[in-house]
Amino acid sequence: MTLQAKLGRIAAGLVLAVTALAAHSQAQVLNSGARAITLKAVLTDSVTVSLSGNAVNFVLTPGSASNPGSVGVRATTTWLLKPGVHNLNLYAYFSSSTSALSDGAGDNIPSADFQISDNAGPFNALTHTVPFGGANAGLRVSTVRIIGNNKSGSRTDTMNFNINLSTLPSLPSGTFTGTLTIQAQAL
Amino acid sequence: MKTGKFFRVAAVALGLALATTMASAQALNSGAQAITLNATLAESLTLSLSANAVNFTLAAGSAANAGSTNITATTTWVLKPGRTAVGVYAYFASAAAALTDGGGNNIPSSAFFIADNAGPSTALVNTVPFGGALAGLQLANVAITGANKNSNRTDLMAFNINLTGGTLPQLPANTYTGTLNIQAQATP
Repeated sequence: MTLQAKLGRIAAGLVLAVTALAAHSQAQVLNSGARAITLKAVLTDSVTVSLSGNAVNFVLTPGSASNPGSVGVRATTTWLLKPGVHNLNLYAYFSSSTSALSDGAGDNIPSADFQISDNAGPFNALTHTVPFGGANAGLRVSTVRIIGNNKSGSRTDTMNFNINLSTLPSLPSGTFTGTLTIQAQAL
Repeated sequence: MKTGKFFRVAAVALGLALATTMASAQALNSGAQAITLNATLAESLTLSLSANAVNFTLAAGSAANAGSTNITATTTWVLKPGRTAVGVYAYFASAAAALTDGGGNNIPSSAFFIADNAGPSTALVNTVPFGGALAGLQLANVAITGANKNSNRTDLMAFNINLTGGTLPQLPANTYTGTLNIQAQATP
C-alpha cells in the first residue's frame, strides 16, 4: 500500500468518527421543568343507622312486669370514620322521661318502665341521660371501640322491648303511644 | 427577648395542639331513626264470687231466715279515662217470683234481703240496670277518680228471707228455688 492510500484511509476514518460524534450530540434529550399537580381525595366520614322495622305494639296486662313488644327491631349501624375517633355508641331514647308513652289524657308510661334487651342480653330501662333526647330518658344500647382495623365497619343490635307495669298498678285502660328513637354517635 | 420568643412559640404550638384535639373530639352523629310504639291496655270489669249456692231453712211467717253462708263478691276493674263510677248490683229476673216452687207459689224479691259488708239488710225492690223491674238492689257505688281507674273492691253479702209480709205467712211448705245475679257496671 502506498503512503497516499494510507493517508486516504486515515482521513476517511476521521470523517466517520466526527460524523458519529455529531450524530450522538444531536440525540441528547431535552427536559422541561417539572410541573406539580396536587391531588386531593376526600373519603367523607359517615355513620348511619337503619332499622328492620319501625313499629312495635304491646298488649298490656295491668300491673304486670312482663309486657313484651310484638316484634324485635334490628338496628344496623354502618360507619366510616376518621382517625382519632375512639368509640361508636348506639343510643335509644325518648324525648321525655316522664311520658315515654301517653294516652294523651294525662296518663303516662315513663321511660323508666320501658326496657330494651340488646342481642338477648338483660333488659335495661331507659333511665340515663345520653347525648340525645330528654334527661334520664335514654339508654346506651351498645359501644364499639374503634381501633386501627375497624374504622370502617358495621354492627347489628337486635332489640327486644318490654313495658314493666309493676310500678304502675293504677294505670287506666287506654291506648298509649310514643316514639322511641335510635341514633348512633362516633366520638 | 429569647425567653419571650420561646413563650410565643410555645403558645402557638399549644394552640395548634388544642385545635387538633378539638377537631378530633367532634362528635359524628347518625340520623335519628324512629320506632313508633303503641301499647294497649284493654278496658275490663270483672266480678267473681266466693261461692255460688246459698240454702235457707225457712220458718213459716218468720222475719229472720238467714242464708247458710255469706258470699264475697270481688269486683276488679281497669277503666278508661272518662268513667266516673262503678256500681255493683244484685237482682232477680222477676220481682214477683224471686224464688218459686214451680207450682204458683212464689217468694217475691221484696222478701229477699241482702246486708252488704255488715250494713243494714235491704230488700231487692229497686229497678237497676239489670234484671226485672223493682227486682234489684245496688250493693255498692264506687266513684272513679284519677287514683282508682285500676282497682278492685269486695262486697261481703249476707242473705235473709223475710216471710212476714203480705201473704207470705201463708206460704205453703215446699222447696223454693231461684237465681240471684250479681253484676257490676262502669259508667258512663
